[in-house]
Amino acid sequence: MAPQLTLQAPLELPPQDVSDYLGRLWNGGEQDATSSGAATFSLLVWQPSWIEQHLVRLGRLDGPITGLEREELLQAGRQAVPACGLPLSTSPLAPELAWQLGQLPGDQASEDLRGQYVDPAISLHQPRRLITLAPSLDHHQHLETLVAAYCPLPEDGPASSVCGDVVVMRGGMEALQRGLGMVNPLIPAELPCWVWWNGTLDEAPDVFEGISQAPRRLIIDTAIGTPARALDVLSQRAAAGQAISDLNWYRLSSWRENLAMVFDHPGRRDALAHVVQLDIDVQGHQPVQGLLMAAWIANRLGWSLESSNHCEGDGISASFRRPDGVAVQLRQMPVPVGDPSTHPGSIVGLRLVCRPEHRAPLCVILCGETGGCMRLEAGGMARMELVEQVVTSTIESAQREVSRTLRGGHDSTNPLLAACVPLASRLLPR
Amino acid sequence: MTATLTNPLRVGLRQERVISPQCLVIFGASGDLTHRKLIPALFDLFRQRRLPSEFAVLGCARRPWSDDEFRQKMEAALASKIADDPESWKTFSAGLFYEPVDLQKSDDLVRLGKRLEQIDRQRATRSNRTFYLSVSPAFYGSGCRALAAAGLLADPKRSRVVIEKPFGRDYASAQELNRVVKSCGQENQIFRIDHYLGKETVQNILVMRFANTIFEPIWNRNYIDNVQITAAETVGVEERAGYYETSGALRDMVQNHLTQMLALTAMETPGRYDPEAIRNEKAKVLQAARLADEAEPWNCCVRGQYGPGGTSSDPLAGYRQEPNVDPNSTTETYVAMKLFIDNWRWQGVPFYVRTGKRMPKRMSEVVLTFKEAPVHLFDSSGGGAPGANQLILRIQPNEGADFRFEVKAPGSGMRSRPVDMDFSYDESFGEPSDEGYVRLLADAMLGDPTLFTRSDEVEAAWRLYTPLVELIEQQPWQLPVYPYEASTWGPAASDSLLARDGLLWRRP
Repeated sequence: MAPQLTLQAPLELPPQDVSDYLGRLWNGGEQDATSSGAATFSLLVWQPSWIEQHLVRLGRLDGPITGLEREELLQAGRQAVPACGLPLSTSPLAPELAWQLGQLPGDQASEDLRGQYVDPAISLHQPRRLITLAPSLDHHQHLETLVAAYCPLPEDGPASSVCGDVVVMRGGMEALQRGLGMVNPLIPAELPCWVWWNGTLDEAPDVFEGISQAPRRLIIDTAIGTPARALDVLSQRAAAGQAISDLNWYRLSSWRENLAMVFDHPGRRDALAHVVQLDIDVQGHQPVQGLLMAAWIANRLGWSLESSNHCEGDGISASFRRPDGVAVQLRQMPVPVGDPSTHPGSIVGLRLVCRPEHRAPLCVILCGETGGCMRLEAGGMARMELVEQVVTSTIESAQREVSRTLRGGHDSTNPLLAACVPLASRLLPR
Repeated sequence: MTATLTNPLRVGLRQERVISPQCLVIFGASGDLTHRKLIPALFDLFRQRRLPSEFAVLGCARRPWSDDEFRQKMEAALASKIADDPESWKTFSAGLFYEPVDLQKSDDLVRLGKRLEQIDRQRATRSNRTFYLSVSPAFYGSGCRALAAAGLLADPKRSRVVIEKPFGRDYASAQELNRVVKSCGQENQIFRIDHYLGKETVQNILVMRFANTIFEPIWNRNYIDNVQITAAETVGVEERAGYYETSGALRDMVQNHLTQMLALTAMETPGRYDPEAIRNEKAKVLQAARLADEAEPWNCCVRGQYGPGGTSSDPLAGYRQEPNVDPNSTTETYVAMKLFIDNWRWQGVPFYVRTGKRMPKRMSEVVLTFKEAPVHLFDSSGGGAPGANQLILRIQPNEGADFRFEVKAPGSGMRSRPVDMDFSYDESFGEPSDEGYVRLLADAMLGDPTLFTRSDEVEAAWRLYTPLVELIEQQPWQLPVYPYEASTWGPAASDSLLARDGLLWRRP
């Protein structure tokens, strides 16, 4: 399905008039189901789209700027990686690519439709209000506010056509920060509100703090930005009881499922109590996803962390202690890949070695379907029972991933994530 | 840590869709089903994080309970579950409410509407409502009418009705009830529940058939000799005599649960996994099904009734000796029958269906017996010809599947003996399955009707058994009720039904 554009041309209003206008829009007419708007939720999106803005500015990507994770954008990003002198393992959406592109000259102008294109994956949930904060490359650009009513046209007829509205606040960082005061009154208090921080957590900390507080439900992606900052935000918010979803964690689903499946077999379940070694390979120098996986395993198996250090090759090594006192070694290594995933730090492979008493050791290797697992498959396993599985990687746009989160509708942090994130944070050497 | 019973990596992996904000209104909330099945299922959903915070349960019945009394009664019923997780119960029970309502009184319906509006404000349930009719079947039609008249079913996107079994007493009454129900709302608002469809193993029939290429080519009259579907209970009529006396095994088990298993076993492949595509195929196969001898049903159906049995230390009363049962009752507690399905896939393949109370074992299963090898090259180790292959889908207990085939018996000769390939849900998956009501309640509240019975399915199922129902009501002597001793596998006449075809019931 193609993204849907708002049916009504967005109306540019002075920021101070937006609230009144929206009030009149929904309360001025008769109070039927349509005129009162969808009783669903509001979604507040931080949508910097720096790479898209730069690629368009440099003429490497055709406009308009939409903020959507479309194939043309990913393609242009991949082509820009070597042109910027970055390692080929660099993700086409990595923040370092945005920084490198920012150093290049270019002034191609294009229409900016961020917040006005609504991905069908989002619109199918019929958000009551979709507010997009769209920072511009020009830090000094003044604040523009655009408003439009929005009626997704469902396939199953007009009975479910419930309207919402979109609000776009576009401008330089300074102007956006000044305009933050108008955001809170725009969010219907009676409905749940999701905040999707679609950027690195390193940027605009004031804006982040201003819009992302509980009881709003926060969606972040720890695959981008500084690992320490990402894990700190995740662990602090989860500990405080705020509902927080991490897209990077959800991308681990198939890895968790595949590993659990290996040990569903009753003959292998016992081996989980005898793990001695865990190796994880990740794509490039973004360790968070691997650490979350390691922390989940450790948490589920009751291991306690003893130490964590950087090791040769930019990896991380850690020692755990099992409940029976036996040591478990973790080694997580960054590996180069020829065809990098959209998401930095994606797991490439995982190896778990178990040494149960009175039977042959067990070696479980999970391997991503796009990368190789040669490092994990090498050496020392001749006398082990070997279980190898290929983990299917499902690449979805960020909008689809967010759609899954919205569809889930959970109003609390996933308990597995909440349980393992403090450990993941401690696993990161500081 | 020693050998683990459950897989610790499996715990919490399922993150299923959260039900949208709503109020579940249970009519008949003082009844057995509410505290035995519905509230425990809802509490399980809550603990699985599948209920939103904007959720409420409003219990309704004629008894003048308060919210607190309702909570206390539910707490007492769920004591063992709550003991594991008292904090969760505290949060969950805050969303339990009660309103005394008689569905026949319009004033009560007005008060109910106001209470629902109040709960909408209190719990932010956004006027989304699922009405669960856990009341006497006699009130299904009038209950729907009362809800519609009160305007509570007006919005098809926000209101649904769940109707328990039995849906009608026969073909005509099912048609009439469908007509009434459809006059109150749209078909997609009506969820006719059959808790057998909530069982993982019943749903697994679909997955086994349609996710594996090895079964489809042999799932037809060319390879399958016969199909047996059994649902056996060890219990007697217990406290349900009042209802059971008017229904019997045919209405209580066959028309719904066993027929649903038959439909899933025999249906054609749907084009996609979609509620309507699945239900279309189920309805079609039921429309093609018939009693093996419709003109003289006594040739293809056996009824039975359990008599006294057990041991001297643990005697079991006969059906007619049970409390509230007519001492001369001719209600069947056992029924077995032979069916055919008149389509290309199943022409000529007999489907034997049986169910009974006070059987030696509690078990439900579907057994597909394949045709024997055309030439017997080897003798069986027990003498005679090797047995036919069997695929056994175990619905309960020990949920799973068996495939029975012949292998060479060890030794110098070339004799064969049967062995089983066994799949067990308990052993293969590191976590227990949900109760059927957990799945079905969640689906109803999510508005997913795949596992619910559509009006044409219900009518087709009743039409299938109409010759029997008419015979039992009009000429009961034609279909006598044979006694059988409690804790046996039914009357001898039931064995004769298969013996005429040279077959035996599988003894599980």
